[in-house]
Amino acid sequence: MKIQQGFSLVRIWRYVGLASLLFLVTWQWTIQIDRSLGVSAFASGWVLFGVLAFLSLFSIRKRLPFMPLAPSAIWFMLHTIGGFLALFLFWLHTDALGSKGFYGQVLTVLFYITSISGVIGLFMEKVIPRQLTCSGVEIIYERIPAEIAGIREEVESLILKCTEEIGTSTLAEHYLETLSWYFQKPRFFLNNVFGGHLSQHWVRQQCMILERFLSEKEREYLDKVYMLAEKKRKIDFHYALQSLLKTWLLVHIPMAAAVTAMVIWHLILIMVFFV
Amino acid sequence: MAITTQERPQRWDQPFGLFMTDQDVDRLLTIPEISAIEENKFPAHCSLKGILKNDARIVKYSAGDIVIREGDYGNSAFLVLDGSLKVVLFPGLPGEMLGRRTIRKKTLWQAFKQLWTQRKTPEVRDVKSQNQYSLVRATEALGTSHVFLQDVPAILDRNKTASLGKGALFGELAALGRTPRTSTIFAETDTELLEIRWQGLREFRKYDQGWRRLIDQRYRANALNAHLRATSIFSHLNDEDLQEVADATLFETYGKFDWHLTYNKLQTQEKNLGIKDEPIIAQQGDYSDGILLVRTGFARVSIDRGNGQQTLTYLGTGDFYGADEIFRAWQGDSNVGLRVTITALGYAEMLRVPSKIVEKHLFAYWSSGREGFRKRSLQSSVESRRMQDFIDRTLTDGALLEWAVEERFVNGTQAMLINMDRCVRCDDCVRACSAAHDGNPRFIRHGKTFENWMVANACMHCADPVCMIGCPTGAIHRSMSGGMVIINDDTCIGCETCANSCPYSNIRMVSIRDDVGNFITDPQNQKPILKATKCDLCADQISGPACVFACPHDAMRRVDFRETELDENTTGF
Ligand code: HEM
Ligand code: SF4
Ligand code: SF4
Repeated sequence: MKIQQGFSLVRIWRYVGLASLLFLVTWQWTIQIDRSLGVSAFASGWVLFGVLAFLSLFSIRKRLPFMPLAPSAIWFMLHTIGGFLALFLFWLHTDALGSKGFYGQVLTVLFYITSISGVIGLFMEKVIPRQLTCSGVEIIYERIPAEIAGIREEVESLILKCTEEIGTSTLAEHYLETLSWYFQKPRFFLNNVFGGHLSQHWVRQQCMILERFLSEKEREYLDKVYMLAEKKRKIDFHYALQSLLKTWLLVHIPMAAAVTAMVIWHLILIMVFFV
Repeated sequence: MAITTQERPQRWDQPFGLFMTDQDVDRLLTIPEISAIEENKFPAHCSLKGILKNDARIVKYSAGDIVIREGDYGNSAFLVLDGSLKVVLFPGLPGEMLGRRTIRKKTLWQAFKQLWTQRKTPEVRDVKSQNQYSLVRATEALGTSHVFLQDVPAILDRNKTASLGKGALFGELAALGRTPRTSTIFAETDTELLEIRWQGLREFRKYDQGWRRLIDQRYRANALNAHLRATSIFSHLNDEDLQEVADATLFETYGKFDWHLTYNKLQTQEKNLGIKDEPIIAQQGDYSDGILLVRTGFARVSIDRGNGQQTLTYLGTGDFYGADEIFRAWQGDSNVGLRVTITALGYAEMLRVPSKIVEKHLFAYWSSGREGFRKRSLQSSVESRRMQDFIDRTLTDGALLEWAVEERFVNGTQAMLINMDRCVRCDDCVRACSAAHDGNPRFIRHGKTFENWMVANACMHCADPVCMIGCPTGAIHRSMSGGMVIINDDTCIGCETCANSCPYSNIRMVSIRDDVGNFITDPQNQKPILKATKCDLCADQISGPACVFACPHDAMRRVDFRETELDENTTGF
């Protein structure tokens, strides 16, 4: 048995083709209506509404894992393709300009935020996992604070032992003055997000500064502290990137909910006043 | 003369029975089956008395108690000291009577209803449905319980049974061969049994001719023919020829039956050291003296490579190796030493069909005519080519399988494999599992990793489910359909035997709650009642395993490593 993960190009293009077809048919339809001097926005509006409803259903699907509702992976693919389709339909529906009126403008902004966050999220979901794997460690997001606390305890007990055993406080002082900042909580968030090496550099620098003041014996302790700092660096990296993977949805989902609610109200108004 | 002392077996530090006295041993030495054993054949460090004291125990069952259940895995055999028992021959007792779980797929509506019927607090149980408890009774010996049958006369009426009386031995095949028990045996009257754990049984077979003859005879009569019959290369034989093959077949056991106890120790050892410790079944370069068949357990197939040993694949129950080499030797090729080394992976029970008999019954057939020839090219050369494919693989191509062998993940038939290059760590899988199982996920999305692959901590539904050994009520069992390992929540008494045995730590004990969310406690000691929980592959859900189904990124699969070739899709979707 060969494990084929993900969808083949053929399959993806087939769905993209279908989405394009739906768009072209809607477009033609609106042109026809325009020619016969009807209100073409009704046609594009209804199709757009249908697509938006489908996009929102993804959330419902996620809450019903025990129902035979097609694998989530298919939903996900259709959602992203549908998301882009919605964008094109939106342009068709609003003549690519955005809406007139305050309500319409708010709706437009929310829709764009939803879509843009969707595109950014999609990009991150395709790029970040591999970077996380490359870090060489694996950790569950919720356990990160505990893990860092564990490392900190280890470091502090090492330093205590060093002070007791050797009788000097050079390492301990340096720790209190500078290093302890690093071990307190996740650091270098932004730099990690952008794939920088600042934290590695910082730790190495701090250790180098100290090294010439240490005896052979103390250096052994410093080496151990350095190893733990390296371990923490990887966890910080996970913290930064996993945070990204989690927080973008905190924009996308509420915005999507707001769009859905506003679209429904928009529809009710139209039905009441125009029909 | 120097005095040589030899240590007694380490296992004796933890005797099988806590309360075996010297008087008990003396008494046992007077019963015919034991007194017939020649005591002087046993080495000093592993005396007959020592075995009786440390590897055996006297157990009592009341009338109606089940001693062994069909389908259970056990590591001990029983000798009847007093009383009589019944073997249920046909039809087997229904699952509910044996404490098994009945799987009922939910209907569409029942599945949907879970949306609002689910409790906010996890692990809520219907207290009333815990009534199966009444079938479990505690015994005199501390910490053990027996399950009893309620209506013995009705069973005797409905089912064909056979009697076992004083002096009968039973359960030895399953104990030595790690195969499921083939029938249910219960106490007809109050009985006293000598229970011997597999190590002791193995020594009996090793040092005493009488026991060896008895065990081997029974094995040949009951299990060997069936195994050979099911092996493709012997499928053309008629009964008489098959018997001849069976009579000539040798059987050998390698490794430790309870490999899982040393597994975690192994994990801290340097990799590749494991392989050096494994008992060798056949060595690369040696001449083959017969075809090797795996009866139970696993065997590692490896070759010398550079300074080490490269694992190519493994053999499991029903697999065989070596036909090609002896066939070529038989045809006159010189230089046909074994291409690979075969070692026992943990524990393996092997059958060796000697060359002579293979030549007579197999090669003669293969070279006899068109059909035979076609068969040979189909079977032996497919095997040979497959092995050559493995040998030709690059180190990189074979690395994942090698890792899976090293970590014993090959034991799993449904290992949860996550491609971490695809996984966005969203935990949709975990939430889905929780929604399908009393509000508590049955796995942890964390585990050992190799490159971008993670085997998460989810039950793998092992081919060799060591977790099942020793469950006192039969609550953990292999389901009749589908082969998954499942736990019956109603008959689980929370003894933690399975959780302690699973070498992969994939069983979790949970405290259960009542409707209102309070912990349910044992009225006798006020301690919370525990239940063993683990992945059941969503046996009663209609959508199949919810985890895989819920993953939006198609990152997760349930796999059997040997049947799996990983082929990542380049599209990334
Ligand atoms: C170009 C446009 C869009 C793209 C690329 C996009 C992409 C995504 C992605 C990648 C996810 C995360 C899936 C996951 O990791 O599980 C998601 C979730 C979701 N999106 Fe979109 N989306 C787009 C537009 C929209 C729109 C317009 C709506 C609603 C009107 C919407 C509603 C949702 C909902 C409800 C979820 C479910 C999140 C959850 O419950 O976990 N999306 N989208
Ligand atoms: S509980 Fe453990 S030993 Fe038992 S089948 Fe699952 S993974 Fe295997
Ligand atoms: S659902 Fe898929 S992507 Fe999400 S955590 Fe589970 S395996 Fe990873």
